Amino acid sequence: MAIANGEKTAARSAPLNETSFIGWLHKNLFSSWINTILTLASLYIIYMVVMSMWTWGIANAVWIAENRRECFAISKDGACWAGVIIWLENIFYGRYPRDELWRVNLGGLLLILWMAPLWLPRVRDKIFIGLSTVFLYPFLAAYLFSGGDKGIFMQIMVSGAIVCLIGNTLHAAIGVFGDSSLPATLLRVLGKAEASDSNQRNTLLTILAIAFVAVFLLQMGWTTKFVPWTKWGGMFLTLVISGIGITSALPGGIILALGRRSKLPVIRVLSTSFIELFRSVPLITVLFMATTMFPLFMPEGFVLNKLVQVIIAVCLFSACYMAETVRAGLQAIPKGQYEAAHTIGLGYWGMMGLIVMPQALKHMIPNIVGSFIGLLKDTTLVSIIGLFDILGMLRSISQDVPWRGLHKEPLIFGAMVFFIICFIMSKYSRHLEVKLSAGANR
Amino acid sequence: MKPISFITSVAAVTAVAAMTFAGATVASAKSTLEIVKERGNLRCQVGTPSPGFYNLDAKGEWYGSDVSICQAVAAAIFGSKKKLEIQSVSSQVRFTALANGESDLLSRTATWTLLRDSQLGLDFTAVNFYDGQGFMVPKNSGITSALDLKGATVCVLTGTTTELNLADFSRANKLNIQPVTFEDQNVRNDTYLQGGCDAITNDKSGLASNKAAFPNPGDHIVLPETISKEPLAPAVRQGDGQWFNIVRWTVYALIGAEELGVTKANVDDMRANSTNASVRRMLGVEGNLNEGLGLGKDWAYNVIKEVGNYGEIYEAYMGGGKLGIGIGRAGSANDLWTRGGLMYSPPFR
Repeated sequence: MAIANGEKTAARSAPLNETSFIGWLHKNLFSSWINTILTLASLYIIYMVVMSMWTWGIANAVWIAENRRECFAISKDGACWAGVIIWLENIFYGRYPRDELWRVNLGGLLLILWMAPLWLPRVRDKIFIGLSTVFLYPFLAAYLFSGGDKGIFMQIMVSGAIVCLIGNTLHAAIGVFGDSSLPATLLRVLGKAEASDSNQRNTLLTILAIAFVAVFLLQMGWTTKFVPWTKWGGMFLTLVISGIGITSALPGGIILALGRRSKLPVIRVLSTSFIELFRSVPLITVLFMATTMFPLFMPEGFVLNKLVQVIIAVCLFSACYMAETVRAGLQAIPKGQYEAAHTIGLGYWGMMGLIVMPQALKHMIPNIVGSFIGLLKDTTLVSIIGLFDILGMLRSISQDVPWRGLHKEPLIFGAMVFFIICFIMSKYSRHLEVKLSAGANR
Repeated sequence: MKPISFITSVAAVTAVAAMTFAGATVASAKSTLEIVKERGNLRCQVGTPSPGFYNLDAKGEWYGSDVSICQAVAAAIFGSKKKLEIQSVSSQVRFTALANGESDLLSRTATWTLLRDSQLGLDFTAVNFYDGQGFMVPKNSGITSALDLKGATVCVLTGTTTELNLADFSRANKLNIQPVTFEDQNVRNDTYLQGGCDAITNDKSGLASNKAAFPNPGDHIVLPETISKEPLAPAVRQGDGQWFNIVRWTVYALIGAEELGVTKANVDDMRANSTNASVRRMLGVEGNLNEGLGLGKDWAYNVIKEVGNYGEIYEAYMGGGKLGIGIGRAGSANDLWTRGGLMYSPPFR
């Protein structure tokens, strides 16, 4: 006998097991007695670790004190963050003169201002903005950080950089708010929107020249106090070295990788041996060679800035690693792509720049960011050759007489700083990957 | 441990190569004094921060007894201790950095030994601190002499002569000491404080400054024995006698000033009113002691005026001063010879 009910039964909610928190716990953590034991044991371990860190690092910690003895007087089993706090300026700026710190901060702000348009929507000519960051910003920053007398070359580059920065910022603002570009807006304002191409170009060049001359005259009255590189240090120095290393790694790596895959034997052999030489030597050896041995081979009285030597060494080293990453990316591109590019009449550079590289770079992002993060951390090796980067400064705290022996807290602080920077980099790379592969999921 | 021993070997190779080139590079037409004067500042090499000798403070300025030697030499040449560039060089490449001309002067805790003096192309000038290796133990261990350390485990820093001295001492006295080696002194101290070893061995200056930083300094004692001789002296490149004399006599000026009772505070008064012929000659009031050194007449006056005499420097950084590491001086090797120590300046005449 079949019981048929024409009425549809009311929808029941999912079983408690599947939706409630308790159900989730039961299913995932306490499903059998062995899992229950494991869960409880893990919880206990986590509790112990977190509690002891909390007690040591926060609850019993000393935040304000004159010296370590005072920390001990207040609490013997807590962290003494006071030493790290008093040393913060050293940790971030090194021995940079304290009343000139604004220059370092301004340099950082200008970089953000310069690069911000790259991430804003509706801004045009982003390639130009990116290139100007790489080629002009370093001059402005170099003068800002080191100061002193400007040579004529430096004056020109600094003026160019300032003009470019103003132009970039206006261009970005016009792009975001007016959905237009700086040249177009200028022409419209001057009533030349309808003029001929050559007329327009001459007008724009005139405006550029006037702006350049104006800035040039203004900057002649602007000088800052000379700060020798030996006073640079802390996080600032770490970022300068790794920043330059990172910026130059990709172009250098691409050139080396293309060289290694080149059909011309001389270029191929040179690139390959260069890459293999630097890759098979540890960075610290390269640094020792650059700073200690190099001066011995130079003529009498020729003393090159040690910081420059270090930066060159880091750039060469990172370019070689990057070259292999790029080569791996190139090999992932099917041969058909090359052939297709040739078919539509592209030459070597057109094929590489328009077809192959864009696809290859997308595949390489995780590796590229991986090497950047590695490079950032590797630059702490310069503390061994006597530059006071962030690690050098952190380690000096335990030797300063008032803070004698304070070594755990600075290193923990340093670990947090590095974690934050590296985590942001890796999150950003993830974001880039998703953004660039949007086409693949269409 | 591995990477550091690798670094050490790299450094050794660099040093040997540097010495090979040093002769060619350094034998120049210009004397070091001329080069320094032309440049306008003295490049003085210290090490990575080490309490008492050379340290960075929270403002990013260098201080310490070896830094004071740098300042004294700068004052002797330029009349101002500020005309100075302090270079911090790791101990692996310290002698190379002096040999290749990067530094004019090495003023850091380098022990004066025959090997270094004769084979590294450098000259030690004058001892400015007599150190020696010792032991520190917890007070409640009941140990009162290093000879009680039979079978003990001793924490020691690796890669220095400290380790070697410990082994020699153990063998000579049949103590069968078990060394526990460390790369980082902070880690070594933590291990010792947690009972990981029965004693620490290090230079006594280092022991004193470590002890002062312990949570309970009173619970530890430094044993009386000194098992090695560590005379620390500033060094210069070989082959420039004038430069060697300038550095050596700057150190002697510091010691001599203390012998003669000239201090930072009374140096002006002494120069104007002293009737002591030695003081008058030293401070340049009479005679021409400066000529052979190629310095100005008031070089020693400037040294004392800018940095004070040896005793003042000791008190500030090694003794009980605010930035001092608290090593007693009375009766020790670092006291003046008139008070039973070894600090002795040849006469200023």
